[in-house]
Amino acid sequence: MANNIDIVIPDLGDFADVEVIEILVNAGDRVAREDGLITLETDKAAMDVPAPENGVIESLTAQIGDTVSSGDVIGKMTVEISDTVVIKPAIAAPPTGETTVMVAPVGHKARSRGKQTLVVPDLGDFEDVEIIEVHISPGDVLQIEDPIVTLETDKAAMDVPAVVAGRIDSVLVNTGDKVSAGSSLAIIDAVATEAVPEPAPAEAQPSVPARPTAAPAAVKQAPTATAGKSPAIDEAGFARAHASPSVRKLARELGVDLGQVTGRGLKTRILHDDIKAFVKAILTGQVAAAAGSGLPKTPSIDFSKFGQIDIQPLTRIQKIAGPRLQASWVNLPHVTQHDLADITKLEAHRQKLKEAAKKRGIRLTPLAFIMKACIAALKEYPKVNSSLADDGENLIFKKYYHLGFAADTEQGLVVPVIRDADQKNVYELATELAELSALARDGKLKAPQLQGASFTISSLGGIGGTLFTPIINAPEVAILGISRSSMQPIWTGEKFVARLMLPLSFSYDHRVIDGAYAAKFTTYLSKLLTDVESLLQATR
Amino acid sequence: MPTHAAKLVIIGSGPGGYTAAFRAADLGVDVVLVERWPVLGGVCLNVGCIPSKALLHAARVIDDAEAMARHGVVFGRPKIDAGKLGDWKNQVVNRLTAGLEQLVKQRKVRVINGVARFEAANLLRLDSSETIAFENCIIAAGSQPMTLPGLPDDPRIVDSTGALEIDPLPKRLLVVGGGIIGLEMACVYAALGVDVSVVELMDSLMPGTDPDLLRPFQKVVGKRYESIMLSTKVTGMRATVPGIEVSFEGSNAPSTGVYDRVLVAIGRRANGDKLDVEKAGVSVDGQGIIAVNGQMRTNVPHIFAIGDLAGGPMLAHKASHEAKVAAEVVAGAKSYFDARIIPSVAYTDPEVAWVGLTELEAKENGIAYEKAQFPWAASGRALSLGRDEGFTKLLFDKKTGRVLGGAIVGSGAGDLIAEVGLAIEMGADAADISLSIHPHPTLSETIAFAAEAFEGTLTDLYMPKKR
Repeated sequence: MANNIDIVIPDLGDFADVEVIEILVNAGDRVAREDGLITLETDKAAMDVPAPENGVIESLTAQIGDTVSSGDVIGKMTVEISDTVVIKPAIAAPPTGETTVMVAPVGHKARSRGKQTLVVPDLGDFEDVEIIEVHISPGDVLQIEDPIVTLETDKAAMDVPAVVAGRIDSVLVNTGDKVSAGSSLAIIDAVATEAVPEPAPAEAQPSVPARPTAAPAAVKQAPTATAGKSPAIDEAGFARAHASPSVRKLARELGVDLGQVTGRGLKTRILHDDIKAFVKAILTGQVAAAAGSGLPKTPSIDFSKFGQIDIQPLTRIQKIAGPRLQASWVNLPHVTQHDLADITKLEAHRQKLKEAAKKRGIRLTPLAFIMKACIAALKEYPKVNSSLADDGENLIFKKYYHLGFAADTEQGLVVPVIRDADQKNVYELATELAELSALARDGKLKAPQLQGASFTISSLGGIGGTLFTPIINAPEVAILGISRSSMQPIWTGEKFVARLMLPLSFSYDHRVIDGAYAAKFTTYLSKLLTDVESLLQATR
Repeated sequence: MPTHAAKLVIIGSGPGGYTAAFRAADLGVDVVLVERWPVLGGVCLNVGCIPSKALLHAARVIDDAEAMARHGVVFGRPKIDAGKLGDWKNQVVNRLTAGLEQLVKQRKVRVINGVARFEAANLLRLDSSETIAFENCIIAAGSQPMTLPGLPDDPRIVDSTGALEIDPLPKRLLVVGGGIIGLEMACVYAALGVDVSVVELMDSLMPGTDPDLLRPFQKVVGKRYESIMLSTKVTGMRATVPGIEVSFEGSNAPSTGVYDRVLVAIGRRANGDKLDVEKAGVSVDGQGIIAVNGQMRTNVPHIFAIGDLAGGPMLAHKASHEAKVAAEVVAGAKSYFDARIIPSVAYTDPEVAWVGLTELEAKENGIAYEKAQFPWAASGRALSLGRDEGFTKLLFDKKTGRVLGGAIVGSGAGDLIAEVGLAIEMGADAADISLSIHPHPTLSETIAFAAEAFEGTLTDLYMPKKR
């Protein structure tokens, strides 16, 4: 049965002259069909060239750094047995009820007689699963469904049973070996058997987005039974998208939310290519999919099984803010630097100025002073007032200081922006803070009042707490969190004195700012807040 | 054992049903089409759109000939052979239904005659007591004319189907209902020399249409019809020997009138509740409408509903579009009803057509828009057709200039409106239309002129503009 064949680069689609970046096997290695032999890297993705058959690698001529194209011969292998029997596993004891991952379609119908390789079936998402027990030895006679090995994943232990009956010729694995789908387990000399054909996997229900109500003449109610299966498509945004009917059709087929696609046609029209580029970007991880594709999902639980529940829709702001917060959390490596600033003097001074300010109709809050201090610190440490360029290769320093501040409203979190905060004194800052906060509460902020921040402050000082880890308002690179100040005993070197301490929580994007720089920033900021004189210059 | 079995059963062979059947068959689905009448085509082909348009064409020729008499081309009074005209109308219908039979054969769609009702979620029973087991079902059973309660049973009182039987022509016709169907038939009868009166409960004809569209229409038909009674209620009908005596209640209406034919065209009612759909678990509302999602699935995912009984405007072109979505979904495609607009046309004389946003809707929903209009009195083509009463109106997004809606009144408005529909679906703005060269002299130019009026680049009229 053995014969020599060339190992050929398969059809690579549109790619040619692709670089070999890794060699996964050596001459003499035994491989199973579909095992990776070498890894290629295109400008879109890395991909493995799989073994065409089960067998032994005789030679491999490709080297790291070589470029190859479809049809190139990269080596030779000896095919041992070309019939692969995929074994249907049974689950021994699934502790969490994870049963779906083990369905293995039978790829090839077993030949009724002869030596066949028993391989590990499709394990779903698992790879490198440990064999915890081998149930067979050479010479054993197996019946269909007899266990061959037991595998242990982090979810469940499972038996891999035989789907062909016969005598074990040789066992290719030992306890403790790690195997993946397609790994060879044993060679069996089959007696007349038939592989049991698997039923085709149940066809996935096509996604059923709710019918749009935007089409003025076609207002329809979506039946709730099917609407629940909708993918994350914002129908209102989809209905507004600048895209022709054929582009919309393609978007529906691929489940793309047009509201998230940037059109590159005339007047930002969304073109077919934009949809394809969007999907490719998601597949290669350049864009975080709305549903968090590629990330493990949190379990979906029917809470009504455990007691009464009430389902409330997220507010519009929550729906917008949620994905942005997640995008920042997932894409930016966050580190939070904590510090305490002594604001005893500052607070005493603020109390002095407060009454006079109140007569002018200004509520002089600590935040106005903190903003003033931040501006000075941002000027000293300009990286904090920067953004990473889209290409990830440049840093964009901003010569303006627009400060965002997180405002809590009934509808959710909004971040109004005080423009050119460096050109305003504390009274002006306090006035604008009050105005923007009022607009935020009434939901009357206009788009320009929510755009352009170069640094953001999130103050929970009025509420409480000791410290927290704020999420950066990307593409900014840092955010300052403020918690409630409290009187604390501070050791002067001789005695404890009561000082009013303000907790600072400074989250930064570690790609841009390193730990030392961040600590210098917070130290400098603390100093500004403590040595109130310089700051007070600004209050005049 | 069921008598028949199919992957897909479609109930009703109107424009929704036959389109779904053909699309599904083309995608390799095994289809059974159930039709209660011996001919395919449903209301649209047999007793709706098509025969009425044949008669409307005759009406148009008569009116045009008469109009030319004023300009020196005199044909004399037309002699109308209502029997022969009716035959021609039937020939048009027969040719189309025969064409359908041909398409059914070519696609190997199995047609079963009978009235279908649901027996279970995967089983239909016909009135012949045959049964059909199915994996998927598309309900396309349409709608039927609504009637007034307590009408005498008299052949002189007809619905839209009866009104298509023009022979013998009445002398005096009352159309109850000033909607599109009633007004189209009024148009036919008036051209054939019948004295036509229209009575409408609401204060306007074609309720829900922008009032400015109705003005040119009313100017034309106001002269042509015996009377148009708005805000008037029909309180009773009595069959007498000379005619149907109808009593009215309304400020501008006589208390009674005698007509030798009465067309009741007060709307259509969906047939969703005539099929025992609840036995399949499908929900239907009090109006006979079956709610569907964007893939035309009902609350029972393997059963679909399309066309008049699926809600929305009762229009053939909407049904056939929905049909394709449902058929493709049955065949496993991820199709979706994503049309942004559905055009509406009244094939009256003059025609009235609109698409997308209307001014009434914009005002109701607080949508900011800018209107641009081109009167056909300034169109060389309209003048040379002897028809200057129409106009073309476009509604734009004030800021972006994107086309939101449009309406046209005048000859051929129904054909012209398609361009505006395409513009909306493509997200075109005013400049996209005005910078596309339109052939001169045509009525289609008026769409470009309206766009130019918005842009401030119109030269065919003096309309000073801020831009």
